Amino acid sequence: MRKLFALLSLLVVASMVLAACGGTPATSAPEEPAATTAPEEPAATSAPEEPAATGPKSKDPTTFVSASFGEPDLLDPALDYETAGGEILQNVYETLVTYKGNSLSEFEPLLAESWTLSDDGKTYTFQLHQGIKFHDGADLTASDVAYSFVRGLLQGGGSSPQFLIVEPFYGVGTSDISEIVEVAQVYGLEALADGVSTEEIGGIPYELYDNVEGMKAVDPAILKGVCEDLYSRFVVDDAAGTISMTLALPWAPFISTIAGYWSSAMDKDWVAAQGGWDGSCDTWQNFYAMQPENDPIYDTANGTGPFILDHWTAGEEIVLVRNDNYWREPAKLERVVFQQVDEWSTRFAMMQAGDADFVAVPPENRSQMDALVGEVCNWDEAAVDYVCEVTDDSKPFRVTLGRSSNTRSDIFFNFNVGNPDGSNTYLGSGKLDGNGIPADFFNDVHIRKAFNYCFDWETYINDIFNGEAIQSTSLVIEDMPGWNDDDPVYTYDPAKCEEEFKLADADKDGIPAGEDPEGDIWTVGFRFSGTYNQGNTTRQTLVEMVSANVNSINEKFIVESVGLPWPAFLRSINAKLAPLFFVGWHEDIHDPHNWYVPYLVTFYASRQSIPAEIKSQFVPLINAGVLESDPAKRHEIYTQLNQLVYDNAPGIIGVLATSHGFMPRYVKGIKYNQNYSGFYYYTMYEE
Amino acid sequence: MVTYIIRRLLLVPVLLFGVTILIFGMLQFLTPVERSALYVRDIPKTERQVDGIILKYGLDKPIYIQYWRWLVGTIDPVTGERTGGILFGDFGWSRTGSQPVAELISTRFPNTLDLTLWAVAPVILVGIWLGVQAAVHHNGFIDQAGRIFSIVGTSFPTFVFGLLMLMVFYANLQWFPPGRLSTDMQAVVSSDSFKTYTSLLTIDSLLNGRFDVFLDALRHMILPILTLSYINWATFLRVTRSSMLETLRQEYVTTARAKGLPERDVVYKHARPNAMISVITLAGFTVVGLMGGVVITETVFDYPGIGKAAAEAAGQLDVVTVLGFALFNGLILIVANLVVDILYATVDPRVRLS
Repeated sequence: MRKLFALLSLLVVASMVLAACGGTPATSAPEEPAATTAPEEPAATSAPEEPAATGPKSKDPTTFVSASFGEPDLLDPALDYETAGGEILQNVYETLVTYKGNSLSEFEPLLAESWTLSDDGKTYTFQLHQGIKFHDGADLTASDVAYSFVRGLLQGGGSSPQFLIVEPFYGVGTSDISEIVEVAQVYGLEALADGVSTEEIGGIPYELYDNVEGMKAVDPAILKGVCEDLYSRFVVDDAAGTISMTLALPWAPFISTIAGYWSSAMDKDWVAAQGGWDGSCDTWQNFYAMQPENDPIYDTANGTGPFILDHWTAGEEIVLVRNDNYWREPAKLERVVFQQVDEWSTRFAMMQAGDADFVAVPPENRSQMDALVGEVCNWDEAAVDYVCEVTDDSKPFRVTLGRSSNTRSDIFFNFNVGNPDGSNTYLGSGKLDGNGIPADFFNDVHIRKAFNYCFDWETYINDIFNGEAIQSTSLVIEDMPGWNDDDPVYTYDPAKCEEEFKLADADKDGIPAGEDPEGDIWTVGFRFSGTYNQGNTTRQTLVEMVSANVNSINEKFIVESVGLPWPAFLRSINAKLAPLFFVGWHEDIHDPHNWYVPYLVTFYASRQSIPAEIKSQFVPLINAGVLESDPAKRHEIYTQLNQLVYDNAPGIIGVLATSHGFMPRYVKGIKYNQNYSGFYYYTMYEE
Repeated sequence: MVTYIIRRLLLVPVLLFGVTILIFGMLQFLTPVERSALYVRDIPKTERQVDGIILKYGLDKPIYIQYWRWLVGTIDPVTGERTGGILFGDFGWSRTGSQPVAELISTRFPNTLDLTLWAVAPVILVGIWLGVQAAVHHNGFIDQAGRIFSIVGTSFPTFVFGLLMLMVFYANLQWFPPGRLSTDMQAVVSSDSFKTYTSLLTIDSLLNGRFDVFLDALRHMILPILTLSYINWATFLRVTRSSMLETLRQEYVTTARAKGLPERDVVYKHARPNAMISVITLAGFTVVGLMGGVVITETVFDYPGIGKAAAEAAGQLDVVTVLGFALFNGLILIVANLVVDILYATVDPRVRLS
């Protein structure tokens, strides 16, 4: 036993010494590591009058290392719907069109050389570039493009982004192929010919949505008919390299919809060879609403893009290598490595050691990074780019500031809170007795307005966003039709808040609360719960702010902040139990339709139980807006809509945070487009 | 002893059954809607999505049917293919690991085992050695110094000590990086020419004759090993020390000394083996703890073992994955207990296994 002790101790010591010595050669970096990133050591040598040549240098300019958290769900471009996977997909696969530079609203051809739109605004015809090859060497054909669209639409399902494309192809209000199958079941296949009407969509039982087994059991003739009908909307000419697609209706945001990675071109033969759908109308139902575990291409990829997926070791890293046979000039970077590093301190240490070129920085840790910034870039809206200035040449990082976000957290009122058997404790007593609220409390527009006047945007911006945000003037965000800097907004005004509470009539006796002799909300008070998900400190602060402000108007007004675990929080919203809730929206495409519809018609609107008579004010304008292709006229329509939203105040519209990103100064050629998932590495390089 | 081992092994499925009942039973405190929420990462785009999930996983079925489905899975009426069923090795799909749970465990566990292998010596043997030294030099300088050293170690929260190590040895000195391998070595390992024999990276690299990969892998493990050692030494030191002191007061030790045996033989041949009984229990649990994945250490040093994967799954309420890890840990614990029992009998002939 003693010998064993001695031997093992020796081994331990030896291994430590070996490892310490083996340090440098094992990861031999081309340049001296210490000089590259250590902030206290000014990067010496080159002449100061040439700012481009000075500054920090990359440890390995051929490889870009990104350290972040969050892993792709799957790498199937048609089905993945999150940004971690999106970042890989948009560098490996390609779409017909793409965003022009940093702009969110201008587009340029990518796989297509050019495109035309028919006079009725429904048929798009794309001319493909010649000679584009997939990574496995196969040629890209127009048939592949058509197959990719059809595959996405047919495989869809609730966790995919395909609902974005279903709507232009089938009509307003549609979101999944299962609805189309049901329309065909109820109204016959002929009903699909010129799109699906809102009446038809309203008349189906909704039994097939995400119902994998149910879909397989549908009459094969219907399934085949739906598939063939869809194929008929695509006309391809492989020899000429053209593909045209016909929509159900003129769809203003169509080009921006198909610029997303979810419309990537895939190789039909390759997908079939992997065990995926082969394009046959007899079998598509077996691939409907596929989950990652059933998807044969969930962890593999074969695109036309500038990078090839080398490997994905789940939980560790994803590595892309340069496509040297790319149809354009090959990328400058040879490798892009995405490492999974959950812990911020570890990522920060990697950054300091120069082993990571990009790390995800949580807002609360920005000050740590700010200390290392030597170049400050501010967003210039006119130039659609950041304008940079070197402030301290010895420091290694560049910060990008001031571009407003395409994500926003808002507060939603529930017009008719669910209260099965009076068991909903979020409503307090469920009555207007000072210890609760009635279920339709927020159905009173004065109460909704009062809460708006009691919200303090300035404090919110300063406390939560360190001043780096602006109040959103409408449901849509900056730089799109419908955005006006001077649209009417609510501002923090305790006097008006009080006035609106006094105008409210919560007991519905026709007498405003301020004058009601029998007592109403102003004299009786109220108490209910505002819910947020535990751990989300932003939302927690929001609830607490609302609570404090209404309480300062009248001490009988009590909003309790309740932190819930994620499942319970989700349930409180989905089951419509929360009177007041706090969630966010991240746009899928930079188009007002992607904001107005979820807020006013479908997603949040239904969870808020917005009454039909209010919705019916919004819907005609929303539908008119999406069908109008003239941006100026669209803007006019949406401006009217904004006024309606302001008057009805269905929620409290939050703020748009402005960018605050970090990158080592040696990284150049970055495209800053928020509608990308992460970065587009084709144009990037390191010095 | 053979019958004893066989009997204990026969008990394993029964114990595992108990573990599954416990784990599965706890889940039933949530409503179907809440459990369906465990399968979605974000607020679903449509309300109907939740119904689809309930339908798909049969969350509204009676508990015994759900449990049966969990055990044996479901059979597709059209294709006849089986999905799920832990009895058939299908632990489900890990949403956080983006692969089947069984695959996730089988890729992550070797990393943890590799770390355990290299950490056992410094953690346990050095800890025991420190304890023996402290006892032998009772109240002397070594004893006092060792105690202070170990108390500081216990008082340090793991993540603070880990981060400290990371800042000093990685961010500043750049000696020992976090992670499993450096990028160029990772490329070597993922290339076709690198054969996998045991899945243990350090051993495979030696078998492949790639000494550079071996050194690189070892270099990435130094900080986790140091951290694990330092925080565990205190416990070993104290347990070994008190056990040794107890033994050294026994009459047979006095007899041995009276016989004129050299002090080394008295301590190492007579006293130490007898003092080891209580230490073996501790060592057994420490090894189980190491094999079950050391969550904080793996997270801080970004070491892709099962601790990191389990922590991520728990953080994102990925129940399927957490269940898989819980079962796996139960299995390790049961097996380790058996090994510890057998070790008892080997170390101490007075213990009869029957």
